[in-house]
Amino acid sequence: VSADPARAGLDARLLDWMRKKTWRRDDARFEALALELFAFQYAHCAAYRRFCDGRGRTPASVRAWTEIPAVPTGAFKEVVLTSFPPERAVHVFRTSGTTTRTRGSLHLDTLDLYEASLLPTFRRHLLPEHAPGERVRFVVVAPSPEEAPDSSLSHMFGVLLGAIGSARSGYDVIGGELGAESLIEQVEACRLTGEPIALLGTAFAFVHLLEHLEAGGSKLACPPGSRLMETGGFKGRAREMPRKELYDWLSNRLGVPQTRIVNQYGMTELGSQFYDSVLVDPEGPRRKLGPPWARVRFIDPETGADVKEGEVGMVVIHDLANTGSVAALETADLGRRVLDEGGRPIGFEVLGRDPDAEARGCSIAADAMLAGLR
Amino acid sequence: MSEPTPHDPESSLERVEAAIRRLDLARPLLWGRSIEEVLEPLGAVLDQWRDPRSRWRRELLHQHPEAAGFSRETVEAGLKLGLKEWSASALRELVERELGPLQGRPATRLVPFARTSVLLAGSIPNPTLLQCLLPLLVRSPTLVRPGSRDPVTARLVAASIAALDPELGRCIEVVDCPSTEAPAMQRFLASDCVVVSGSDETIEEVRRSVRPGQRLVAYGHKLSIAVLGPEATRSDDLGELADALSLDVALWDQLGCLSPVSIFVIDPEPRPAASRVAEALFEALSRREAEMPRGRVDAEVAAAIARGRSEADMRAAGGQPVEVHASMGTRFSVIREAGGQWRESPLHRFVRVHGLPDLLSLSEALLPLGRHLSAVALAGFEESADPDQAAFGSVARLLSELGASRICRPGRMQCPPLGWHHDGRPLLLPIARIADRESG
Repeated sequence: VSADPARAGLDARLLDWMRKKTWRRDDARFEALALELFAFQYAHCAAYRRFCDGRGRTPASVRAWTEIPAVPTGAFKEVVLTSFPPERAVHVFRTSGTTTRTRGSLHLDTLDLYEASLLPTFRRHLLPEHAPGERVRFVVVAPSPEEAPDSSLSHMFGVLLGAIGSARSGYDVIGGELGAESLIEQVEACRLTGEPIALLGTAFAFVHLLEHLEAGGSKLACPPGSRLMETGGFKGRAREMPRKELYDWLSNRLGVPQTRIVNQYGMTELGSQFYDSVLVDPEGPRRKLGPPWARVRFIDPETGADVKEGEVGMVVIHDLANTGSVAALETADLGRRVLDEGGRPIGFEVLGRDPDAEARGCSIAADAMLAGLR
Repeated sequence: MSEPTPHDPESSLERVEAAIRRLDLARPLLWGRSIEEVLEPLGAVLDQWRDPRSRWRRELLHQHPEAAGFSRETVEAGLKLGLKEWSASALRELVERELGPLQGRPATRLVPFARTSVLLAGSIPNPTLLQCLLPLLVRSPTLVRPGSRDPVTARLVAASIAALDPELGRCIEVVDCPSTEAPAMQRFLASDCVVVSGSDETIEEVRRSVRPGQRLVAYGHKLSIAVLGPEATRSDDLGELADALSLDVALWDQLGCLSPVSIFVIDPEPRPAASRVAEALFEALSRREAEMPRGRVDAEVAAAIARGRSEADMRAAGGQPVEVHASMGTRFSVIREAGGQWRESPLHRFVRVHGLPDLLSLSEALLPLGRHLSAVALAGFEESADPDQAAFGSVARLLSELGASRICRPGRMQCPPLGWHHDGRPLLLPIARIADRESG
């Protein structure tokens, strides 16, 4: 927990929630913790306080968690947003910085909440049928945390491997290079023994693997019970691919059914992650689910108010695991709530940009131009 | 002129094939004419388009706003200003300027391409009008693919030519051809000459599709800016200047390559000067909004604008001297930035104002733009009879050296002369072949 006594109690109560064996939506608990955390962050993060003042929202005026001002994720590229003295930072995660010159950074004075949040959320959505203590063979298509110490994703994989990975788990991006042949050998070995694996990595790394397999005309056959988790987009990369196309390809070349391919929706600036529902609820529609200490809103950019249930809006995430920075984040994504037949919310979906969409005008957006110049 | 039909791969290819066959049949009609015999009717067509009462202007005004997402008032104002000086005589001047030196040289012939394909982009009618006329002017049968955001203008231009000169009308075909339908696109791009406008990615794709020996004339995405000197920001005329700039920003909702996305204020006291400009521009945009409302935007654009504002708010909260002037909703925004650093621009009437102390800082700020700089609205620098000696002339020269292909007054950005060297190049010579015959 934080060394700051003013926050330590809050951290402890959140850790207690995160360590519960069963999850339960608890509106009162979320509301109370969110308001308390807002008051703390307002008091301890000067930039956030000025931002909130500019919107006329203070702990004295805010009555509900939905009124707490959300900071745009882009702000993490401009301002160090911490609710503790920066010199107390024990770890800094940085964004990949593919589309702008500066990289966003999340400074942490403790990794306790970060790790306490990620483990149960991952297990619940990726390994729902696994017994507690059961270990999994992870094949990670990403660098290790030692190789990429400022990558929150590599850190997460490191935590997973340490906590629930089998001895033969490992990383297949070494020295910045995809070890495709080693990965193929591992999958082949598992095919022979029938040991299921969990493939984890970025969408872009999987595309590299698929291209390698395609170039060699080979297909893998992951053993039954295997699963795959991909994350991250293609923004700023040379090649973009619709998710449907990627999943067809992954399924075809790796032998993992689409119903066992899970997208993780997360970002460096967040302490918690969201996952596709396919393994938890194989019969229901694919949608994103997350832990009870993180909530999502969809905002009308014209008014700043919540859109109607099921309508498209800007994705705003309120993640109580972000005690050391700012809990309410306005993402760069659009999304909408997924409703069941009775109109009740059962998760959400993030809408990707249409890759075939023609540019809006002949004037070029400065970010696109700068990306092109690099 | 072909009619739009539903997209399916087979019919798209068939449509392109049929259009090419018709153009092949019409080619002798065009090649049988002199340039003068083409110039005359095309000039008349242009004069019709200049006339707000013409059926073409009225029809465009009826169809275009809904199709392209602009308000009717914006389209009306943009056509009025942009086409005002695009006359038959302006077209003749262009021909004389570019092709005149070839006249009277019997050993040099201008040879038209057998067919020119024009791949349009964007949603602004004025450049579409010109891009349809130019290949015909050099007597090349013209195959046009409209941009997905303006399915209207090219068809009306083709119809206006056919109505005035049916024979010439047979020499231009407008076809729908989705970029996802590879066989149809390949056929479309198989012309001797290909003119393409669009993003760097689009141009690169087209470049990969054309064969060696085909002529490719590409107009990539650009952006424009305004540069204001101390005389502009310290004078009582700042309101007038801001009004002119608001027209440059508001017309076509900043979606044109001639729309300013950033305004650079050069002043020994850059921050207060930039603040004055930002405030005046915000007021002016507010008035513009009342008379010329911004068009519709989708959720993605609205979100980008909201995010652009929030990020600026956050920079201000983080201690940077940033000011945010924002309308209700997302209709217009003016951000007074802390320095000269380029930032993402969501467009749709979202302007950044940068205060800089001197021209050296301006040069540094503009360096990242490189080949992407298009037009610059310039004001507030001393003028004299000798433009090269005066501040105005030296700033204009500096901007040209930094890549600008057009320097103009605020308020004039959206009305380039017909003969403007688009991207710094001639308009006609790149889309024709010149054959020299040596004596002896």
